[in-house]
Amino acid sequence: MGIVDAHHLSKWYGQVIGLNDVTLSVPPGITGLLGPNGAGKSTFMKLMTGQLKPSQGAITVLGEPIWGNPALYFRIGFCPEQDAFYERMTGLEWVTALVRLNGVDEAEADRLARGALDLVELTAVGDKKIGAYSKGMRQRVKMAQALVHDPELVVLDEPLSGMDPLVRRKTIRMIKEWGRQGKSIIVSSHILHEIEAMTANILLISQGRILAEGDVHQIRELIDEHPHTVHIRAERTRALAREFLAYDDVLSLKFEDDAVVVETGRPDVFYARLTELAASGELGVIHEVTSPDDNLQAVFRYLVKP
Amino acid sequence: MQPSLWSSAVRIFDLSLGQMLWSRRSVFLGLVVGGPVVLAVALRLAEASGLLFTLDRPRPAGAMLYGMMIWLIYVRFIVPVLGVFYGTSLIADEIEDRTLTYLFTRPIQRAAVIVGKYLAYLVCTGLLLLPSVVIVFFLVVPLGRGAAIAGLFPALLTDLGMLGLGLAAYGAVFAFVGARLKRPLLVGLLFALGWEPAALLAPGYLKRLTVAYYLQALIAHEMPQDGLRGAFLQAFREVPSLGTSLVGLAVIVGVGLWLAGRTVERREYVLEQ
Amino acid sequence: MPIHDQGYRRYTGTRMPRGRTWAVITTAGLRTLLAQRQFLALLLLSWLPFVVRAVQIYAAANLPQMAFIAPTAETFRQFLDQQDVFVFFVTVYVGAGLIANDRRGNALQIYLSKPLSRAEYVFGKMAILMAFLLLVTWVPGMLLLFVQVSFAGSFDFLLDNLHLFPAITLFSFVQAAAVSAAMLALSSLSNSSRFVGIIYAGLMFFSFALFGVLRAATGGSSLSWVAFGNNLAQIGDVMFRVPPRFSTPWGVSLAVIVALMAVSAFILERRVRGVEVIA
Repeated sequence: MGIVDAHHLSKWYGQVIGLNDVTLSVPPGITGLLGPNGAGKSTFMKLMTGQLKPSQGAITVLGEPIWGNPALYFRIGFCPEQDAFYERMTGLEWVTALVRLNGVDEAEADRLARGALDLVELTAVGDKKIGAYSKGMRQRVKMAQALVHDPELVVLDEPLSGMDPLVRRKTIRMIKEWGRQGKSIIVSSHILHEIEAMTANILLISQGRILAEGDVHQIRELIDEHPHTVHIRAERTRALAREFLAYDDVLSLKFEDDAVVVETGRPDVFYARLTELAASGELGVIHEVTSPDDNLQAVFRYLVKP
Repeated sequence: MQPSLWSSAVRIFDLSLGQMLWSRRSVFLGLVVGGPVVLAVALRLAEASGLLFTLDRPRPAGAMLYGMMIWLIYVRFIVPVLGVFYGTSLIADEIEDRTLTYLFTRPIQRAAVIVGKYLAYLVCTGLLLLPSVVIVFFLVVPLGRGAAIAGLFPALLTDLGMLGLGLAAYGAVFAFVGARLKRPLLVGLLFALGWEPAALLAPGYLKRLTVAYYLQALIAHEMPQDGLRGAFLQAFREVPSLGTSLVGLAVIVGVGLWLAGRTVERREYVLEQ
Repeated sequence: MPIHDQGYRRYTGTRMPRGRTWAVITTAGLRTLLAQRQFLALLLLSWLPFVVRAVQIYAAANLPQMAFIAPTAETFRQFLDQQDVFVFFVTVYVGAGLIANDRRGNALQIYLSKPLSRAEYVFGKMAILMAFLLLVTWVPGMLLLFVQVSFAGSFDFLLDNLHLFPAITLFSFVQAAAVSAAMLALSSLSNSSRFVGIIYAGLMFFSFALFGVLRAATGGSSLSWVAFGNNLAQIGDVMFRVPPRFSTPWGVSLAVIVALMAVSAFILERRVRGVEVIA
């Protein structure tokens, strides 16, 4: 049983299908929920956080149904996408007021709120009104209210939206740290390299359906019909190309500047041969070997057909 | 352990009272409750300067004017409009401001959100409206053939209680309307300013489907004759007993809040992104 | 050339003349509202009094025993009086969000970055509300005249009451223009259409309540001008040549309406801007 289990889960809004017969199990740890706009990420997150009721099927979170089960929110923290706050309150007041809804008294709520603000590095501005916060601060104070009661599962909907690169990096570091501390985190984004920076475990969703789930590298390997691209920067590219042409797993070759780009249907075999060639040095020095598509973008591109 | 409905509602009340008092709504509330005070001051000034009463008709009693203001301004206008305005906004404001998610993803019953906000509405409107009535009372009653204030003091207390009950009843009804409908304001205005005046004129049991029927029974002052409608109302007026009125209003508050709570528990709220 | 450029090409067709772009805003607004079932229901309801009056006219014309309900000039005045309720609800439904929703969605900047002047924007919005207000006042009023002539089978009534044509038209347009200007001004003051709607309702009904108290206090109706609706009613009575219902001179009522429209125009001029200028 995972952190989130969906069984033939569907959600429609009138004639529009938001999520279509989804069955999956999200494991503990950090999971990236990835998909283009309108894919169903938000719908899935809302179902997961009990804001929407399934039209069909079932969803359980931490082993229990979430809809109409407010007690489960002791164990879940949600950071929504919308940039909406009680602007007149300070960050500390706001987080304190929300954690008081967990039943804690005033003093304890204050202590927890300060701790949460400290976690997201907002202690210095806790007494400022949220209306005066920058975009990055607003995102972080949202995360603070999601973490303040130390939940087991944290659901983050586009947490890095609108952040500048420095704050973005800091936040990614924070999220990874929370994962290391034992929290399960589900984070949604359509920015591929952000998800890649946080986790290798992804859920790829498009047009209301799950296209793939699991480790991004394993998924990549499974996409057989898409050959792997290997970029080799070497001293004697043409000699290498002549050698590669003899291999029957090499499907195509092209030259780019001082590199040869190879498409192979059996990357494991190809890499083994390439390693031998590089070690022997008989075809010159091989400076660099990269695979531009052993990554999330490639997975995304191959699976999410327009 | 999940907090009880009541303790959650109290915490929501704490959160909402400040929001309500310092929002732009408070400007509207201030104007609404300040209007009769300004009018009362103007009437006093006009009387002092001799502009108010014409010579060829008897000077109306200040008590009558006060009673008229209670009817025309407070009962027929301020209380229903405040009920519509605040009641329909209890959840609608959170939806419009997209802050509802924060409340609905806390370990509290959803019904606690609406109950807590309703309590905040009662305190907010009561704290502003009731002093307005007191000020108007002290300004207007001595006008014209002024009666002794002390003699009318029980009527003031009755009026304060009656207006408080009115705020409670209209607030509960419109809390349900606001939780249930996408365009609660129009329906609220239709109810308060369309249905209620019409139903009160109709014979039979229709008038019992209004808040005004039970509330107007608690008013100590004579109903004003403001034209044909006033005359009809007077002619067809059916006054329930005090007990019936109080029970009726209590039922309206209870049923309204229960329906509102039930609605928010079951309804899906999709906020615009 | 053998290979044609498939890239972006400038539009070379005819363009709408300058000063007519307001019609785009109006058309879009009308289409949006007419697609809403709730609103169509409200419009349908607003035509019920017309149906009732048409039946009254038919009965009076064709049943001798019903001659006592034969329409007079005052019937048309009363009809437009009764439509006030629908004028109010249509104004709140249509008008409250006209500018408020654009402010909320930051669309004002987008509108005014186009070759569209502020006046055209305001006029386009105002035309939406005026169109629907005339649909519940002027159109049924004129149709009722037509119905009267049709069912009576003669032009006698019309010839005896020729002033009804200009009266219905002028009053409907003045009412629609005044109400639209006021509502549009209120709508420009807020981001929330709900707030605007309640402010409008509050101002309307508070002013009526205020007049009620002042009438009792002064014993006369000379202060009827404090209620916006009373001013329209007063000049309406004058246009229809029926005895005015209040003792306020009609010139005062007209002045109040003009002043209100001037204030509305001032508010709109200050509030409808692409950017906020902070000195």
